[in-house]
Amino acid sequence: MIKATAWLRALLAALALTQGGAQAAPPPLPADPQGVVASLPATSPHWVWVNDFVFPHMPDGQALLVDGDSGRFLGMLSTGFGFSRVVLAKDGKMIFSPETYFSRGTRGTRTDVVTMYDPAHLAPVGEIVIPAKRSSNMPMMGDVELTDDGRFLLIYNFTPAQSVTVVDASSHKLVGEIETAGCALVYPTGARSFFSICADGSLLNVHLDGGGHATSQDRTGHLFDVAKDPVTEKGVRVGDTWLFVSYGGVMYPIQVAPDGGLTPGAKWPLLSAAEQAQQWRPGGLQQLAAHAGLNRLYSIMHRGGPQTHKDPGKEVWVYDLANHARIQRMAMKNDSGAIQVTHDSKPLLFSAFIESTTLDVYDATSGQYLRSVEHVGTTPTILVTP
Amino acid sequence: MRWLDSLAESSTRAVARHTSRRGFLGSLGALLLGGAGVLPLLPVARGAQPPGPGAGASPGAAKPDNSQDPTSCEYWRHCAIDGYLCGCCGGSQNTCPPGTEQSAVTWVGTCHNPADGRDYVVSYNDCCGKSTCGRCLCNRNERDTPLYAPFESNDYNWCSGSSKANIPYHCSTARIVAVAK
Amino acid sequence: MLRGLLVLVVLWSCGGRVAGAYEPRINYMLQCMGCHTPDGSGEPGRVPSVKETLVPFAGSPDGRRFLVQVPGAAQSTLSDAELAELLNWMIQNLSLTRSAGVPPFTAKEVASYRRTPLVAVQATRATLIRQLSGVSSQKP
Repeated sequence: MIKATAWLRALLAALALTQGGAQAAPPPLPADPQGVVASLPATSPHWVWVNDFVFPHMPDGQALLVDGDSGRFLGMLSTGFGFSRVVLAKDGKMIFSPETYFSRGTRGTRTDVVTMYDPAHLAPVGEIVIPAKRSSNMPMMGDVELTDDGRFLLIYNFTPAQSVTVVDASSHKLVGEIETAGCALVYPTGARSFFSICADGSLLNVHLDGGGHATSQDRTGHLFDVAKDPVTEKGVRVGDTWLFVSYGGVMYPIQVAPDGGLTPGAKWPLLSAAEQAQQWRPGGLQQLAAHAGLNRLYSIMHRGGPQTHKDPGKEVWVYDLANHARIQRMAMKNDSGAIQVTHDSKPLLFSAFIESTTLDVYDATSGQYLRSVEHVGTTPTILVTP
Repeated sequence: MRWLDSLAESSTRAVARHTSRRGFLGSLGALLLGGAGVLPLLPVARGAQPPGPGAGASPGAAKPDNSQDPTSCEYWRHCAIDGYLCGCCGGSQNTCPPGTEQSAVTWVGTCHNPADGRDYVVSYNDCCGKSTCGRCLCNRNERDTPLYAPFESNDYNWCSGSSKANIPYHCSTARIVAVAK
Repeated sequence: MLRGLLVLVVLWSCGGRVAGAYEPRINYMLQCMGCHTPDGSGEPGRVPSVKETLVPFAGSPDGRRFLVQVPGAAQSTLSDAELAELLNWMIQNLSLTRSAGVPPFTAKEVASYRRTPLVAVQATRATLIRQLSGVSSQKP
C-alpha cells in the first residue's frame, strides 16, 4: 500500500516536471531572516489600549493595543500585579505604567514602579521606583493621571492611609508624596493642580509648585449627598468641566476656574421622570465617555434597581452638552461595561465588558456598529485612547 | 434578594453578573468560563439541605433555603461578600486556607440570620498570598460606596491593607464579630 | 409631650442613645475596627494605634478637636450624637491610660469641630504627640 502510494507520487512528480514551463513547480521559498521584531508606526488616533488586570491571574496584568480601524491586534504590555492602566504622555513619546511586582510572583518583597515604555517598540526603556503603596482596586482612570502639561504623574495610594505619589515625568524621578487623608483618586485640573473626592462629598483641591510639591490643599463644601445619591468615581472631563454622574443618573458638573478654583455647576438629570420610573440608570466600570469637539457625553444605560450602578448595559445614550438633551440611543451589540471615544474629528467609540474578550467598535457620531475584535485580554477593564 | 430573583431569569453566568453590583471582584463569572465553556463554579450545595421552608416541597414550590449553607452564595453571612468563598478553597467562612495570610485590615458590615432572627456584625477578612482561588465566586451587597468612601467600598483589594497580607488576594471569609444591637 | 422631651434631653446629655442606633461598641466594629483592629492597636507602620493617645488627646482642646476631625471619625456615617457616644466608649474601653477626669464628648461639641475638615492629619497628630508630655512616641 505504502509502496504503491510512493510510486504514484513519483509518477505525478515526474509528470509535473515534464509539463510546460508555466506549470513547473515554483522555486523553493527563501529562508526567513532571524530575529525580526515588528515595530509600530506613528500612533493613530483610532488606536485603543484595553487595560486588563487579569483577575484569575492577577500577577499577570496586561495592556492590549488594538487598531480600531483595521481591527488588528497590534501588541501588548506585560504590566504586573493588580494592574490599573497605562497613561500616554501628552506628546505621544512615552507610555507610563504604574506597576506592582512581588519578588516571588505571589509573595516576597513588594516593589512598585512606574515603568516607561517606548510607544514604537512596546518595550520598557526605564522605570522609576515609587513608594510601594499604590492603591489596589477595581481599575479607574482616576488611579493615575498626568497634570495638564504632562509634566507630573500623579498616582493614588491606599494603605489604607490615602495619599498621592508625584513623579516628574520629564526627569523621570520621584518627587514625593502628598497626604490626601479622607479623599481618593486624582482628577487633574491644570498644569499644577488636581482634586480628589472625599468621603463627605467634598473635593480636596491641591495646587503644586514648579517642582511638583503641594503648595495648598483646600476642601470645598459638600457638593453631593454620599448617603442618598453618591456620584461614582468615574468622572469624565470636557475642557474645564469635570462631569460626575450619580447612582441615580444625575449629572454633577464641577467647573474649574483658570486659577484652579472649583465650583459646582448646576446639576442636570440624564433621565426623564418616566425613565426613572422604569429604573433606567447609568452603570458599568467605565460608564461615561465625552468628546470635546462634538460636545457630547456618552453613558452606558441599563434598567435596574438602586444598587445596580455597576451593571453593564445594552444601550449607550448620547447627550448634547450644550443643552443637555439626549440626542441618541445607541444600541450595543453586546453588554457594555466600559466605553471610550477617540478624540479626533471622526471619532470611534469602543465598548468592552469585563466578562467578555470581545472589543466592539462603533462610529461615535452616527452610532453605527463597525466591527468587533475577538480575544482581547482576559478580564478587560478600562479603555484609554490617545 | 437580587441573587434569588436573578436565578429565575437566566443562566448562571448572568446571575454572577447581576449580583455583582459592586466590587473589586464584580461581574467576573465569565473568567471561570475560559475557552472551554465550563460553567462558573457557583456554590450549590444540594446535599445537606437543612430542614426548613421549601425542604421536601413538591417541584414548582418555593426555592430551597440556602441561607444556612456556608458554601452557598445565599448563606446568610454572605449578604455583602464580594469574592471567592474561602470555604470552597480549603478554608471556611471563618478560616483561611492553608498557607495564606489573613488580612487584619478589612471592611465590616451587618447581615441578618433568618435562623435566629438576629442581625450580626460580619467582618469580611480576606485571605492573601496566593493567586485568586477561582472557586465559588459570590458577589452580593446591600450597601456600596465608591472608592472615596472606603468604609463600605468593596472595590478595594483589602489584602493590600496590612503589611503582613500585602500580597495577592486569594479568597474571602465572613467572620461573625458580634450580635449587632 | 414636654416631659417626654425633657426626658429625652436628659438622656441625650447623659450619653443616652438615639432610639434605633447601635451600641457604641457595635459602631466601633462597623466604623473603625476594619482598620484600627478590634482592640484599637491598629497596624504598626500602616494604621495608628488609638490606645495610647485617646486619653491624652481628649485632655486638651486641640486633641479633642483632632479626635473628631480625623477623617475616619468626621466622615463616618454616624450622627454627631453617635460619634460623641462612640468616642466616649473608646476612651472608656480601649485606652491604656485612666480616663477619670476626661470630660465626655457631647453631640454639640462634636458638631462644632466636625464642620471644619482636617487636611494635614499626620502633621497635626505628630504635633499633638510632641506637645503632650508623658505620651510614648507613636509613629503613624
